[in-house]
Amino acid sequence: MIKFKGVLGRRALLSGIAAAAMLVMGGAAIAQDISGELAILQWQGGVDAEMWKKLEADFVAQHPGVTVRELAITAQGDARGGIRTAILGGEKVDIIINTWPAFRKELADAGILRGLDDQWSALGLDTTLTQSWRDLGVSDGVSYGVPYTYGDRSGIWYKTSQLKDAGVEVPKTWDEFLAAIKTLKAAGYDTPIPMPGKYWAHGEWFESLLLRTGGVEAAAKLAAHEIPWTDDVVKTTLRKYAELLNAGCCGTPEQMFAGDWDLSADQIFKANTGNFLLLGMWMNARAKGEYGLTEGVDYSLFQFPALGLGHDDTSSVDAKELLATSNGENPAAADAFLTYIVSPEATKILAEYGYASPSSNADTALLGPVQQQATAAVAASKVQFVLGDLLPGDLVDEYRVQLQKFLQDPSDANIDAVTAAIEAKAAESY
Amino acid sequence: MSMSAADAAARSSQLSSPVGGGRRKPVAVRRRRLGETPAAWLLIIPVLILFSITVIYPLIETIRLSFFDIKGLGKPKFIGSGNYIKLFTDPAFRNTLWTTLMFTLGTTTITVSLGWFLAMLCSFAPQRTLPFRVMIFAAFGISEAVSGYMWISMLRPDQAGLLNSVIGLFSPGFAHPWLGDPNTALWMIIVAASWSGVGLPLMLCFAAVQAIPKTVLEAAYMDGAKPFAIMRFIMVPLSMPGVRVAIFINLLGALRAFDIIYVLTGGGPVRSTETVGYFMYRESMTQFKLGYGAAATVILLVAVMVISIPAIIQRTAGAK
Repeated sequence: MIKFKGVLGRRALLSGIAAAAMLVMGGAAIAQDISGELAILQWQGGVDAEMWKKLEADFVAQHPGVTVRELAITAQGDARGGIRTAILGGEKVDIIINTWPAFRKELADAGILRGLDDQWSALGLDTTLTQSWRDLGVSDGVSYGVPYTYGDRSGIWYKTSQLKDAGVEVPKTWDEFLAAIKTLKAAGYDTPIPMPGKYWAHGEWFESLLLRTGGVEAAAKLAAHEIPWTDDVVKTTLRKYAELLNAGCCGTPEQMFAGDWDLSADQIFKANTGNFLLLGMWMNARAKGEYGLTEGVDYSLFQFPALGLGHDDTSSVDAKELLATSNGENPAAADAFLTYIVSPEATKILAEYGYASPSSNADTALLGPVQQQATAAVAASKVQFVLGDLLPGDLVDEYRVQLQKFLQDPSDANIDAVTAAIEAKAAESY
Repeated sequence: MSMSAADAAARSSQLSSPVGGGRRKPVAVRRRRLGETPAAWLLIIPVLILFSITVIYPLIETIRLSFFDIKGLGKPKFIGSGNYIKLFTDPAFRNTLWTTLMFTLGTTTITVSLGWFLAMLCSFAPQRTLPFRVMIFAAFGISEAVSGYMWISMLRPDQAGLLNSVIGLFSPGFAHPWLGDPNTALWMIIVAASWSGVGLPLMLCFAAVQAIPKTVLEAAYMDGAKPFAIMRFIMVPLSMPGVRVAIFINLLGALRAFDIIYVLTGGGPVRSTETVGYFMYRESMTQFKLGYGAAATVILLVAVMVISIPAIIQRTAGAK
């Protein structure tokens, strides 16, 4: 009995020493011991995929015992279907890259995610991410997401030479914006806004207009279906959108439906046949990587014009986060990667590709001038997550199709029909 | 249907029975075949297992899923025929039925009539037209996704698109968004699908024409028939078995169309090119309503069976 006590005592002592050592050394101690395969579910393509390869290589360089297996999901448009298929197909990964809050909740409800509340401090995330960023990754009161980048979704991209040649100043108000469209049309641009209406990007204009019309409160209520889609704030927003269409911004509906945002970007930055594109910050990587343009010199962005309705201090934002899974085979490596993604090294790589990081380790001076401008605009705004990513799956599909119908006929009568159709679907979806 | 050599031999052996045995009764033949059954089953079992895993099980699972309400990765909830009732009251699904009908009729009409016409032309000079037949058939082997990307570049909405630039030769500055216009998008998909699909009807019809006995054609020439009469009264009627097979295969392929629609329009604009196959994908894979998507799949399966079972019965009616 005494002997037993003695053994237990030595074990307890050893455990205590080990625990104390880990506490003293923090997350670094855990990270140094990791080994094995780290599986990451990755669905981004193009320059973003290249950036991920670089991040993974840098992580492996820091942790030579780890190998990274990237489960690449190829998808056109919304990648959630591919991710679900992979998961239901039995794929087990340690980390999932996510950008949809509604999808995080779906994964959490299915028991696939690992809550991070207990480890948040041990992983050093409390010192690198502020509480507001932590809150962004919470579903049903549990922290799941570690945000690693965010972007302004109310910034309008343009090619500097086009505006300069046409004698157009960067518009600050809605009226100035409509006047700029008129001037650019007179300068020979038939479609100053090559509206990407094929899949989802035509919703970007609605979402920023909604924020500037009803503020973040109205947008949040609409996302939660606490106000109906037939509410006046939605109709007023669509009437503002109609002003843009009636100003001849975007060509015919057929032209709008012909392409996605990449074609619109080509038309502006490659073919010089359009001028403005409202899109997220991945446009920055494309402008540099695929068009070879110089940030802040050849192209720039300005914040959505002020409508003067009392909500001009709002911006739509998106964020990407990492989710740790509960069924992953290497949780230690996953934890190390969560710490790594907000490290100075990772934020530097993100900055090289034009992405801002919410981490306190991020050096904003490393960002290009356009990214700095966007980051400052977001910091000075009341922000709301992209509406389309907050809506239930079947509703968002109907919402985008009905917005296409609105583009075909932006009359008041059709605004009534379109909002009624979205509301009918919303009534089923919540 | 003509009798097979094996059947003919069997029948012949029954008719010319050995001495003393008399004429063998049909029942004896059946007993002998039953006696062979275990060996036959042994040979069939691997195929049956494979067939069960790859066809029967997914089929049963799809039918089972169609009775459940499944949203995303959530738990399935049994709702009986709820998905089927909802399908037929869903305007988006009703629209897909019409689009599927248009697509199926359009592609089948174009591919089969063009394939048959080319087969007729090629049959006049089989050797010299071989390279053309190979080239046309090669398109059939190209993945629809790959051909879709090729058609995207040809149908670009600006003047750089091949179709727009050709029309632009006669009407300078012409640029039409073929895939963005709900009135033209479906027709462009039909053309694109037909382009890659014409090779099969061509080969089937050509084979049917080549199977016409030379003696029949020679007799017609001897009787003074003109080329047009030979075509009308001999080649056209005798090429019909090939045409029927081509129609059957094309109908089935068109009903299940997905790849080319996914690549060219994604079912748009405003769902104008959404077929049942694409609807099934959208509901099952994009929105992940697996039960609802499965119900659409079962409806599609029924449509395929309605077409294929009579055709298979007709094709195999004389077989033993």
